[in-house]
Amino acid sequence: MKQTPSQTAGPFLHIGMMPEGGTVPLVSPLPSGDPITLHGTIFDAESAPVTDALIEIWHPESGWARAPTDGQGSWRLATTRPPTAPFVSLWIIARGINTALQTRLYFPDADWPNDPAMAKIPRARRGTLVASQAAAGAYHLDIRLAGEAETVFFDLQGGDDQ
Amino acid sequence: MTPLDWDRHPPALTPGYFSSVTRSPRENLIPLNPTTAELTGPVFGAQHIGALDGDLLRNAAGPDELAIGPRIIVHGRVLDEAGRGVPDALLEIWQANAGGRYRHARDGYLAPLDPNFSGCGRVLTGEDGGYRFDTVMPGAYPFPNGPNAWRPAHIHFSVFGWAFAQRLVTQMYFEGDPMIRHCPIVATLPSAEAVDALTARYDPANDRPMDARAFRFDIVLRGRRTTPMEA
Repeated sequence: MKQTPSQTAGPFLHIGMMPEGGTVPLVSPLPSGDPITLHGTIFDAESAPVTDALIEIWHPESGWARAPTDGQGSWRLATTRPPTAPFVSLWIIARGINTALQTRLYFPDADWPNDPAMAKIPRARRGTLVASQAAAGAYHLDIRLAGEAETVFFDLQGGDDQ
Repeated sequence: MTPLDWDRHPPALTPGYFSSVTRSPRENLIPLNPTTAELTGPVFGAQHIGALDGDLLRNAAGPDELAIGPRIIVHGRVLDEAGRGVPDALLEIWQANAGGRYRHARDGYLAPLDPNFSGCGRVLTGEDGGYRFDTVMPGAYPFPNGPNAWRPAHIHFSVFGWAFAQRLVTQMYFEGDPMIRHCPIVATLPSAEAVDALTARYDPANDRPMDARAFRFDIVLRGRRTTPMEA
C-alpha cells in the first residue's frame, strides 16, 4: 500500500492540536532527567517570524512535548535533558509547509561534532542545529525555514535500523 | 523504516500555493537513516481520550443541543504499507463548521460560528487500526491566494503511529466535491493518485439509516521494512 500524502496543517491547527478546554491535555510522561527549557523563534525566507507554526520535540530519553509559536514567532518547551544523547528530534508544521519538516536540536555542551548525522551535513551548515546556552538549563535555537543560514532539515530515508 | 515516498508527498516549494513560497527550504533535505530517536515515539492511551472526543456533534454542544449541519460518520483504518492495522494510533482532527467557519481567533469569514460546534476531535485506533468520528460535513470557504481561491470541504488530520518518523499531518476531502480540482493546496500534490488517496469515499454500507451518512478514509503510514521472512 502506498503512503497517505501529507498536506499543510494550515493556519488553524490550534483547534485540533492545542484545544482549549473540553479535552484532556495531551502530555506524555517525562523521563526523570534534569528539567530543561528549550526555546527559539521560527523565521521564514524573508526573516519574518512564523506566528502560526507548531513544533514538537521527541527523544526516548527526554519525552515528547509540543508548543505553538506565539505572535513573535517564538516557541518554548519544558522537557528533560537526555542523559546520553547529544540531541532531541524536532518536527515542525505550519501554514505553507506542505510536508512536515524534521530536524534536530543538538546541545552545545554535548559531543555533537562526533554524532554520525553531522558527517552527512556540509560543515558550514552544521551550526544551524546547535543550540546556544541561554541560562542554566535553558537552550535557545532559532529555526530558519529558508534563506540565509537556513536550518538543516532531514529526509529520514529508511536504511538500516540502528 | 521505509523511506518517505516523494511520489506521494508534496514538494516544499509550490508557488501556486502562495504561503509555501516564503516557508519552503531552498536547500535539499539531508538524507539520514533514522536512529532509535526517530524509530520510537510517544505513547498515548485511553487516559488521553475523553468520552465525547470522537463525537463532534456533541463534544462542544450545550445540554440537549447538537452541532448544525449534515450529520456524517468519518471512519477507516490506520495501516502500514504492508496493510497491517496500526493499533493505538492517536488521531487528532480539526475542521470548519457546516458554513465553512473555524472557531479560531484568526478566522474572520462571514459565515457564522455555531455555538454548539468546536471542530475538534480526538480518538485512538482500535486493535485493527480502525477509527471513527461523528461530525458534520464541513463547508467550503474562501482563502487569500489570488483573486478567488476556495478550499473544498475538508477535515485536517494529525496522526501519531509508533515512531516519530511516521508523524503525519494531512487533509481529507470528500468524493464528488467539484471544489477539489480548483484548490491550490490540493494542487500541491504530485499526482492524481495522491489526490485520490486523500478523497474519502461515500460508504453507504456504514450509514446509520435515517441518521448519518458514512465516509471512509484509510490512512497509510510509512512502516517497517518487510523482512525476507515476511516477503
